Amino acid sequence: MNLSVIAAITRKDLVDAIRNRYLLTALITPLFVALLFRILFPGGNPRNLLTIIVNDSGNSAISTQLAQAPQINVVTAGSSATTETEVQKRNAIGGVVVPANFDADVTAGKQPELTIYVNNKKSLFEQAAFRQLLEQQVRSLVKRPEPARLVWIDVDKETSEQSRGGLSLNQMLLPLLLIMTLGMIGAMVVPLLLVEEKEKRTLDFLLASPASLKEIVAGKALTGVAYSLLIAGLLLVFNRQNVGNWPLTSVTILFGLLFVVAMGLVMGSVLNNTMQVNTWAGTVLIVLLAPSFPSIGLPAAIETAMRFVPTYYLTEALKLSLGGSGLSKTWGHLAVVLGCSFIAFAAAVWALRRRN
Amino acid sequence: MNAIEVEKLSRAFNGLKAVDNISFAVEAGEIFGFLGHNGAGKTTTIRMLSGQLLPTSGRARVAGCDVINEQRRLKPLIGVVSEHQNLYERMSGRENLEFAARLYKQNTQRVDDVLEQVGLTNRAKDNVRNYSNGMKQRLLIARALLHRPQIIFLDEPTRGLDPVVGREIRRLILDLSQQGVTIFLTTHYMEEADQLCCRVAFLSEGRIVALDTPANLKVAHGKNAIKVTLANGESLSIALNDGDAGEQLEKLVNDGQVRTLHSAEATLEEVFLQIAGRELSE
Repeated sequence: MNLSVIAAITRKDLVDAIRNRYLLTALITPLFVALLFRILFPGGNPRNLLTIIVNDSGNSAISTQLAQAPQINVVTAGSSATTETEVQKRNAIGGVVVPANFDADVTAGKQPELTIYVNNKKSLFEQAAFRQLLEQQVRSLVKRPEPARLVWIDVDKETSEQSRGGLSLNQMLLPLLLIMTLGMIGAMVVPLLLVEEKEKRTLDFLLASPASLKEIVAGKALTGVAYSLLIAGLLLVFNRQNVGNWPLTSVTILFGLLFVVAMGLVMGSVLNNTMQVNTWAGTVLIVLLAPSFPSIGLPAAIETAMRFVPTYYLTEALKLSLGGSGLSKTWGHLAVVLGCSFIAFAAAVWALRRRN
Repeated sequence: MNAIEVEKLSRAFNGLKAVDNISFAVEAGEIFGFLGHNGAGKTTTIRMLSGQLLPTSGRARVAGCDVINEQRRLKPLIGVVSEHQNLYERMSGRENLEFAARLYKQNTQRVDDVLEQVGLTNRAKDNVRNYSNGMKQRLLIARALLHRPQIIFLDEPTRGLDPVVGREIRRLILDLSQQGVTIFLTTHYMEEADQLCCRVAFLSEGRIVALDTPANLKVAHGKNAIKVTLANGESLSIALNDGDAGEQLEKLVNDGQVRTLHSAEATLEEVFLQIAGRELSE
């Protein structure tokens, strides 16, 4: 492979792509959605008043902070044992049980336990806002990571099992936007880069030039990778407070990139014109994005079907890595994504050879 | 020395033979015309000879390189002007050439030189989508010349162009030939082939049905006669191999009966019609 030829093709595509309104739209859509979401939900909080049941026998600073927080209505529970019942009875978003020496233990660095009840019958947005609020309040107590151990207890376990617990609102949105970015690259950008060369007959020029078919395809793939990294990087930097494990998140995105670029090459090899790409891109994008949406209450059959979509495993790996989990919990998901990438690359090679 | 050598070359698509067992050779520096109706196999032949498409059978050497096994060595030695105006329309003329220059490892001075050669220096920064057909065609030729190829394949280079631009392109082709570049030309325009080509091959249904100089083809398939239009509007044909042809003609001229005299030699179009059995434009 001639690297200077590949670089020339990538350079040309990087500049030319942003002059193509279809490609430009595909590239900026995830950033636009992220911006829109920030405008609609500043700070990720819903606008309704949240009721929180608090049992605080030691009058700690955290219950005072909660009471002073905007949009929050704090109701005191008589004992720790009745906190969960009060949450259900008052239909509150959740409850907090603060131990007697909480403030002193936090100051001493003992990481005291803070029991938090979450009402899973409330909307996902409210639950996420509640979780985010508690995490922020605890972090603000001392300038040290994890001043206390947060013990999350689901009030309605049955609903909880169906929900996506443990993630804040932004941490739920971020995987969706990242999958959208990768999906746009795989379903639109890479196929269009190839198909446009066929449609405008510029592929004939490239094939008559010193560029081989392999180098042309590598140049296109590299363009897809460059744009994915740029947009995914921007999304991660804008949401850096929600990235728990940077190295693992980066590796997960790289694995996802391999898959979508290979898938894009397959589409670009099989399809022949822009209209076909536009038609198929929508369908492919819906399939790729579906597993990254919160899926409460979906029929079991659909839940099962989603497990056949590689982005299901990519979404799970992203959620775990963004949540701060290590490789021990994500390797299975990553292995599936990597395996699917190899299959997609093999399919791309087959499709391109068949074309030639 | 031959610039192109083709031996029993064939290419089939889904069992249908687009090019069927053709053999010919093109000398270095020659302008070689490849003529045929739509679908005769002209473009498929160019695509095989330029390394874009693998033959089904047969062999060909272009600029001394095997088109199947030596493509990497071959491609810098040839230039191709496609029948389609396959330029990057969102890019400027200069950007198109700069991209090609990076592929062929040429410097920007060479880009300036070819822009000057085809008369596009003043419009180099304009987007190609704003170019006229003639300008696009000149840019295509500039792109094909950028790396100083030994052989240029021109697939219908004047199709759809107005007569003035067509004449400019033909002049450019002759200039290139004078510089020693071998030119493989396909065209629908018989007059163009007659004017430019040292030799022409007629292609019909994938096979070469005639190959010679335009002059020889016209003599071989035309009448050896003179067509005379008389002053009274009547016309008659005088066969030159007739013993008293000179006397007949002299008498008519002396009597002041001759309005016009024309050679009855066939045109290339008529020769093609006789050989291929149908008009070139069909």
